[in-house]
Amino acid sequence: MGRVNFRDIRREERLLGGKRIPVAVLPRLSRNAGVWSAARSLLRSMRLTLHYLVRPSTVATRQYPENRATLKFPERYRAVLRLVEEEGCHRCAAACRLCEKSCPNGSIKVISRMGAISGKVELDRYIWRQDSCTLCNACIQACPFGALEMRPDFENAVYDRRLLIYTLNRYAGPPASVLHKEENPEARRKMMEPRDRYGGPVPANGYFLPNVPPLGGAPGPDAAAMDPVAGKGEPA
Amino acid sequence: MTVRIRTLEEIVRPPQTADSPFSTQEYFVNMGPQHPIAHGSLRLVLLLDGETVRRVIPAPGYVHRGIEKMAESLTYRQIVHLTDRMDYLSALMNNWALSKTVEEAGGIATNPRIETIRTLMAELQRVQSHILWWGVLGMDLGAFTAFLYAFRDREIIGEIFEDTIGARLTMNYIQPGGLMFDVHPDFARKVKKLIVYLRTILDEYDTLLSGNAILQERLRNIGVLTPEKALALGCTGPVLRASGVPYDLRKAEPYGVYDQVEFDVVIGSRGDCWDRYYARIEEIRQSLRILEQLIDNIPPGPTMVTKFAERIKIPEGAYYGQMETARGVLGVFLVSDGRADTPYRIHFRSPNFNNLWAITALAPGWRIADLIAIQSSLDLVIPDIDR
Amino acid sequence: MSGSLLWMTTSAAQASPWAVKTLTDRAAEALPSSPWLTLAYLAGSLAALGALVSFLGMSLIYVERKLAAHFQCRLGPMRVGPHGLLQTVADSIKLLLKEDIVPERADRAMHLLAPFLSMSATVLALAVLPYSPSLQIADVNIGALYITAVGGLGVMGTLLAGWSSNNKWSLIGAMRAAAQIISYEVSATLALLVVVLFAGTLSLSGIVQSQAAGWWIWRAPGVGIVAFTIYLIASTAETNRTPFDIPEGESELTAGFHTEYSGLRFSFFFLAEFINVFVVSAMAATLFLGGWMPFRVGGLDGLNAVMGLLPPGGWFLLKTCGVVFLLMWSRWTFPRLRVDQLMRLEWKFLLPVGFVNLAAAALLVLWNLYFFP
Repeated sequence: MGRVNFRDIRREERLLGGKRIPVAVLPRLSRNAGVWSAARSLLRSMRLTLHYLVRPSTVATRQYPENRATLKFPERYRAVLRLVEEEGCHRCAAACRLCEKSCPNGSIKVISRMGAISGKVELDRYIWRQDSCTLCNACIQACPFGALEMRPDFENAVYDRRLLIYTLNRYAGPPASVLHKEENPEARRKMMEPRDRYGGPVPANGYFLPNVPPLGGAPGPDAAAMDPVAGKGEPA
Repeated sequence: MTVRIRTLEEIVRPPQTADSPFSTQEYFVNMGPQHPIAHGSLRLVLLLDGETVRRVIPAPGYVHRGIEKMAESLTYRQIVHLTDRMDYLSALMNNWALSKTVEEAGGIATNPRIETIRTLMAELQRVQSHILWWGVLGMDLGAFTAFLYAFRDREIIGEIFEDTIGARLTMNYIQPGGLMFDVHPDFARKVKKLIVYLRTILDEYDTLLSGNAILQERLRNIGVLTPEKALALGCTGPVLRASGVPYDLRKAEPYGVYDQVEFDVVIGSRGDCWDRYYARIEEIRQSLRILEQLIDNIPPGPTMVTKFAERIKIPEGAYYGQMETARGVLGVFLVSDGRADTPYRIHFRSPNFNNLWAITALAPGWRIADLIAIQSSLDLVIPDIDR
Repeated sequence: MSGSLLWMTTSAAQASPWAVKTLTDRAAEALPSSPWLTLAYLAGSLAALGALVSFLGMSLIYVERKLAAHFQCRLGPMRVGPHGLLQTVADSIKLLLKEDIVPERADRAMHLLAPFLSMSATVLALAVLPYSPSLQIADVNIGALYITAVGGLGVMGTLLAGWSSNNKWSLIGAMRAAAQIISYEVSATLALLVVVLFAGTLSLSGIVQSQAAGWWIWRAPGVGIVAFTIYLIASTAETNRTPFDIPEGESELTAGFHTEYSGLRFSFFFLAEFINVFVVSAMAATLFLGGWMPFRVGGLDGLNAVMGLLPPGGWFLLKTCGVVFLLMWSRWTFPRLRVDQLMRLEWKFLLPVGFVNLAAAALLVLWNLYFFP
């Protein structure tokens, strides 16, 4: 009576709910055929681990940060959100807030203003909360102008979590499509009002805590309203 | 967080009569939520008699995040990224389950390219999930090396996902209406290389663990689950199939392009831990078969049939969609009250929830070490139990 | 007290050229009977012992980590020092600086005592190992028996630790450990007795010197290799290593009997385990692989000259490291046995095989049916 190997799998057909289903039936595992076959199986597994021991080329570890020079992440890897820049100009055309609405947990806050020179609604501040963003890509899908992208720059660790809420745009003003039409660099610069990274009415930026000084830059005009403790602003 | 389990009071009673010369006292231990190599935050209250388990009372809920409640205030597209986080090892399949239900309910028809790529991704994810399960089983049973080998091989699939999807674990890729991106140009080449590589690796897995006499003795004839009991408990997936019931949703109610590919449903003959173990390894081989058949035959076409800004309107009513994840049948029960884009209620029928309660039926009478083996062979992912 | 060579006087193929002089002999000769100098010597030897134990433990832990890493296709410690050589030093400093916790309702005295028991059992065994003809701390004329007896002390530490922790998981681990260690001591002793039969002496240096004509693993035909295998399996179980590491089965019992220990006293358990590995490997090398005897083939003078280039201490180290490698190799490959499978393996398989082996060895010795009797 031959002993069935655990890899002898029978192909059959079974009937279930009126359908014929091709099945692969596993054999019943039989008791080990004795000391020698058990010992041989143990020795075979030892040979496999020895195989990996004596071949240092099979090591799968990549030593970070020593390999930063050659480290390449796939282009589509989602690590951080950025505004697409075309020669220093962003593409947020209308501050339409479609991205803000599509974000499942409110990690985006778009503040718009009326452009003084262009007369249209423009982007003032694009505030992104890296501490709550789940990198789900919904904002990028939602934007009709392709203003957002996910970059694979993953080295974003900070020591202070207030630094994880910041403004993505470097200037408040019209998008690239409008600015590139303007030939005069002086006029162009007049339309772009620079924006710092950590200022503005960012909820929880500065965390108005009794003994904690607010983060760099004065709080913006709506800061008091945004204060979750004192004001009646949005919860952090 | 204390969980009051009323049944404990009934159980804890001083032993009335000693029916053996040695009157042993049964005692309670918590295989608690904090455990170095537990599968997640699952609390198991064990009633032990020496080394023998008399009763297992699972107390889940430590990873409850209120996904179903959150879903009541999100749009369908936003709920998809939450489904990633349920059974995170079958994230793409979870996405697909919800997308499928929404599409069927809302009358959105996809095209063959979308369905083929969805099937490919789901099978890749199934392979990845089973490889990780194998490594964790090895580690639970003491063979730590298996874990590292599994992760090394899982990396390759992770890199394939990274190229196309941009994420390795929380994918959010399969959306109602199609896919988030088209496949990367390197996708087919890498998958073909992977299939060849994995076939040799599966032999290595067999050498390291499956053929190992110690492992076979640890798993053979332990925790036998009869088909009737499995069906009564509502177990699905490899747990049910190892007991001999050839129920695989991919064959029973085909979706995607599963009805156009040939593969076998793997069933076991005894329903013990070994059958559950080897059924999954054989399932990896069957998944590789499916991948092989599909990888060169992806039909052309767009990968998104609806616009992102389009609101999904589902008529009022209750809908149910289900599919086969790596662990069993994931069902999505959707109640819509006619509002656009947001459900009234979503409930997920999670496979791990039913598989978990199989422990209460299987473990009593066995030793602690067998309990570990049984729990490993059931392949539980705790966040899916709690959602 | 000194290594007396009164054993078999029959025509040995080569009389042993090695004369054993132990450290206690040297101390007895060199020390005048001044109490202060004795005290100084005592203090110095304690320091030396501490240094030896720490150095041995740290090196073994480092080797284990590196070996484990390379078995698992990864690199292991690489950052602290070149290729992570100082990693265990950093870990030791960390452990020393950790808070020493005694659980609230634990039996405090026992909890504090247990690691010392484990450690002392290990250190006592280090005293009689024959590292080289000139480097043996003491040569007790019942060396093999002494090692077995002292090894039994270690289980006391485990039991005390598990009981005094006031933790059900630790208790389960301790009970398993006690059952396992006591059972496998029997098999280990039976395998050891085979060599004692052949060598005719219990003294460890005597056993080494009896292997001048050849190592017992092959010189005792058949029974040698069987005894070696049994000794290795039993030693793996004695030292709580996979596949017999259920007392500290991490996936089940958190950390088994030493769950509630932290800081220095945890490091005692940790070091004790690794030095135990060293001790059993050294015993296996001494008993079966010739100890510090170099590899010699009678007649091939050229080969013998080359082999003689490595000093005997180096040979001992080489053989011990070989056995340590075997133990580590099997640790990182096999899953663990369940407690009843483990007991069944010992009582129903290893013990009968050990008895039959011993009887066969006795017959071989009686009828001189071994090589170079």
